[in-house]
Amino acid sequence: MIRVAAVGDIHMGPESQGLLRPAFDTLPECADLLLLAGDLTRHGTPEEARVVAQEVRGLAVPVVAVLGNHDHHDEQPEKVAALLEDAGVRVLEGEGTVVECGDTRVGVAGTKGFGGGFVGRSAGEFGEPLMKEFVRYSRRCADGLRTALEELDRQGCATRVALTHFSPVADTLAGEPPEIYPFLGTYLLAEAIDTAGADLSVHGHAHAGTEHGMTAGGVRVRNVAQPVIRRAFNVYHLNVD
Amino acid sequence: MSEPLDQHSEENVEYRVAHLRDRLAAEELGELGVRAEVRAGAVVVTGTVPSAQCRETVLRTVREELDGLAVHTDVVVAENATPDHAEELP
Repeated sequence: MIRVAAVGDIHMGPESQGLLRPAFDTLPECADLLLLAGDLTRHGTPEEARVVAQEVRGLAVPVVAVLGNHDHHDEQPEKVAALLEDAGVRVLEGEGTVVECGDTRVGVAGTKGFGGGFVGRSAGEFGEPLMKEFVRYSRRCADGLRTALEELDRQGCATRVALTHFSPVADTLAGEPPEIYPFLGTYLLAEAIDTAGADLSVHGHAHAGTEHGMTAGGVRVRNVAQPVIRRAFNVYHLNVD
Repeated sequence: MSEPLDQHSEENVEYRVAHLRDRLAAEELGELGVRAEVRAGAVVVTGTVPSAQCRETVLRTVREELDGLAVHTDVVVAENATPDHAEELP
């Protein structure tokens, strides 16, 4: 069994240093790895990223993260990622990483993802250049997720987890106004997950959404936005065949 | 049919709510997760914020932007407790 801890949308700022660390220090007792599902900061500034880095530095379990839209706001996502990497966090964008949990290889594939909406109510790659780029960007994120999951399969991972910030399904957005669903996720992520295969999909972003959902292909989806799970993190036990 | 004055008043509240949301996103909080909606003549402000200080800032901003309006708030601080159980995914 693999124990996956996950949380997103912790939105740390200068005054929140230390709020999560006491709970994170208990991770070795209950989890094999910690996933951070983006929106770790409020504006994506280096100062905020240093708060997050300090909060997870030296944890006794591996930490794997994707960035969220907030982490891009200051337009220095590479700097945010570098500060987190310096604290030992593996930050993914269109790539995967293998975490050794005892004898089991756990693969985590990650992308921030983007919006666009869900089948029948989604944006199309048509018209103005900005509109086409919106959809193409989403597609590039989804393609990166798919290729990363496929690569993890080739590397013999017994368990694979898809980590995103935006949602792959509408299920976990229930509670949010339906009008804003296209800004909360895209079916392209779910299609990538179902095409490549995964054992679990974890995302954040939808603060007013719900925890549980499933892709059309039957992959379980969990919205771990901190306002949704109302904990420092949630833990999922995945059985390994 | 509403009087023109009422229509203008109604629009005014809608725009003020929109400006509140813009301000919450633009200022120090970068807050997109707080919802503000007009319900039965009052503005209802709900959401979860990362810290007690953020909550105070949100409530102060709400008071400034919606001064003079009936406002109901239910803004809570994110909980940082360790989970007491795991979910089994067979």
